[in-house]
Amino acid sequence: MTATAIAPSSPVTGAPTRILSVVRMHIANPIATLVVPWVVTLAIFAINLAIWLMVANAAGGVENLDEGAFQYNGGVSWIVFFMTVVAVQAMNLTFRFALGFSVTRHDFYLGSALYFVMLSLLYSTGITLLAGIERATDGWGVSGAFFAPWGLESEPLATVWLLYLMAMLLFFFLGAAVATVWVRWQAYGLYAFFIGLALLVVGGGWIITATESWAQVGEFFASTSLAGLALWTLPATVLSGVVGFLFLRKATPRA
Amino acid sequence: MTAIVEAQGLTKRFGRVAAVDDVSFSLDEGGIHGLLGRNGAGKTTLMQLMTGQEFATSGQARIFGEAPVENAQALRRVCFIKESQVYPDDFKGKHVLKSAPWFFDNWDDEFAQRLVKAFDVPLDRRMKKMSRGQRSAIGVIVGLASRAELTFLDEPYAGLDAVARHRFYDLLLEDYVTHPRTVVLSTHLIDEAAGLLQRVLVIDAGRIVIDADADELRATATTFAGRAGDVESFAAGRDVIDRTVMGGLASVTLAGLSDDDLRAAAAAGLEASPVSLQELIVSRTGGFEREEKSA
Repeated sequence: MTATAIAPSSPVTGAPTRILSVVRMHIANPIATLVVPWVVTLAIFAINLAIWLMVANAAGGVENLDEGAFQYNGGVSWIVFFMTVVAVQAMNLTFRFALGFSVTRHDFYLGSALYFVMLSLLYSTGITLLAGIERATDGWGVSGAFFAPWGLESEPLATVWLLYLMAMLLFFFLGAAVATVWVRWQAYGLYAFFIGLALLVVGGGWIITATESWAQVGEFFASTSLAGLALWTLPATVLSGVVGFLFLRKATPRA
Repeated sequence: MTAIVEAQGLTKRFGRVAAVDDVSFSLDEGGIHGLLGRNGAGKTTLMQLMTGQEFATSGQARIFGEAPVENAQALRRVCFIKESQVYPDDFKGKHVLKSAPWFFDNWDDEFAQRLVKAFDVPLDRRMKKMSRGQRSAIGVIVGLASRAELTFLDEPYAGLDAVARHRFYDLLLEDYVTHPRTVVLSTHLIDEAAGLLQRVLVIDAGRIVIDADADELRATATTFAGRAGDVESFAAGRDVIDRTVMGGLASVTLAGLSDDDLRAAAAAGLEASPVSLQELIVSRTGGFEREEKSA
């Protein structure tokens, strides 16, 4: 991470320095968010590859299998959900720790948001690079697809990257927003939030049904490219980011 | 002298309970001050209000003459160590100390390392796996080595044994002499810390009940011991804070005495001794039933 290159003894206390300090706080122990996810991902991949080789070997070669037999795989998606866990931990425990270190909520949130964006860039870029290797090696020699599995196998790498990046950002800021509801209002806040969410979803479905618009909805998903759909998550991501900020500005670190 | 900490009509309510109730006081720059009171009296909430961690229901909190809430420039000069401090899940002791200089401009790493040795803290252990005393020691190390202009220490040595506590008092005093600053120390171990304190604030049920110079406070009362008859006749008509009778002997603690009174007591053959801060505070806050308050 570039943030660790900043000199620690700088007496400047401008907002950028303070915000970068929050980023550094998040990775003071880099194991959990910079090392473990790669190790787990590569371990899942190694297990998948071993199974593919075993099956291919038993079948007497990949050519004896159905085309695309090794392309249906969701193993890499765990990392997107993992981002939600990182966000929740950050907004709950790290928030309370940061305030104990005289950090303002403002600086903490902006520093955390920057950290989320940096992690999303790092992981989406890394996985896309691995997807590139996957393609260059004809699916690791067995027509396997792990880093860009079914649905992505014919998309350009730029789209694969955009999809991962947008998905990670969405899960980061959605997780952060839900976590701020918890930090500020505890359990009752979450009850209210999820009841509200359920009403929104059911209400939305009800409106679509009442206006007989399901065909248009299906049409939207069918006609919009994957890259387009990925970009459509941005409004939700930005909204979550703003909501999280507003919630956290008035939150107090209770034990 | 300028006030470095100031509260005016400061109130924090949780529902119907006033954890801090119309509190006004000010502390001058420099010195080690005590915020004393029983458990649940409002010490932590008051410190959280002074450091912008809590939002006041009404009234004003000021540090360095400014409101602390979301005030990055003011808060940067503050270090607040509380017993209930939460740490990130994967943080070990060393990560806490590694992060500290990014947030405290006066951080002295050499001093921090010395403190680690003095308190024998396992830096390679996760914070959540540490004992209460070890976690407290980490807090104490950050509180001292940060050398913040304004340091709040809330029950900083919970779980530490008597030896470690005295090491803390010694180190605090020693470092204070070479690096003068303002320290607000909350504790319920009043007698232990009494020798350090310049000014004493006593909070009870959310209200400041004593706000006085420690020496002046001690001088407000004296204990007299002697034959029960002599003690009783001297105490008659005076302001009795505390009274003990054992057989033919008695002791009595009296407030509001003049120099003439002291001479009269000596003439009556009574032995005068100073009152400890703890006795004085207990008699002023613990001697009566308090209304039960739910959290």
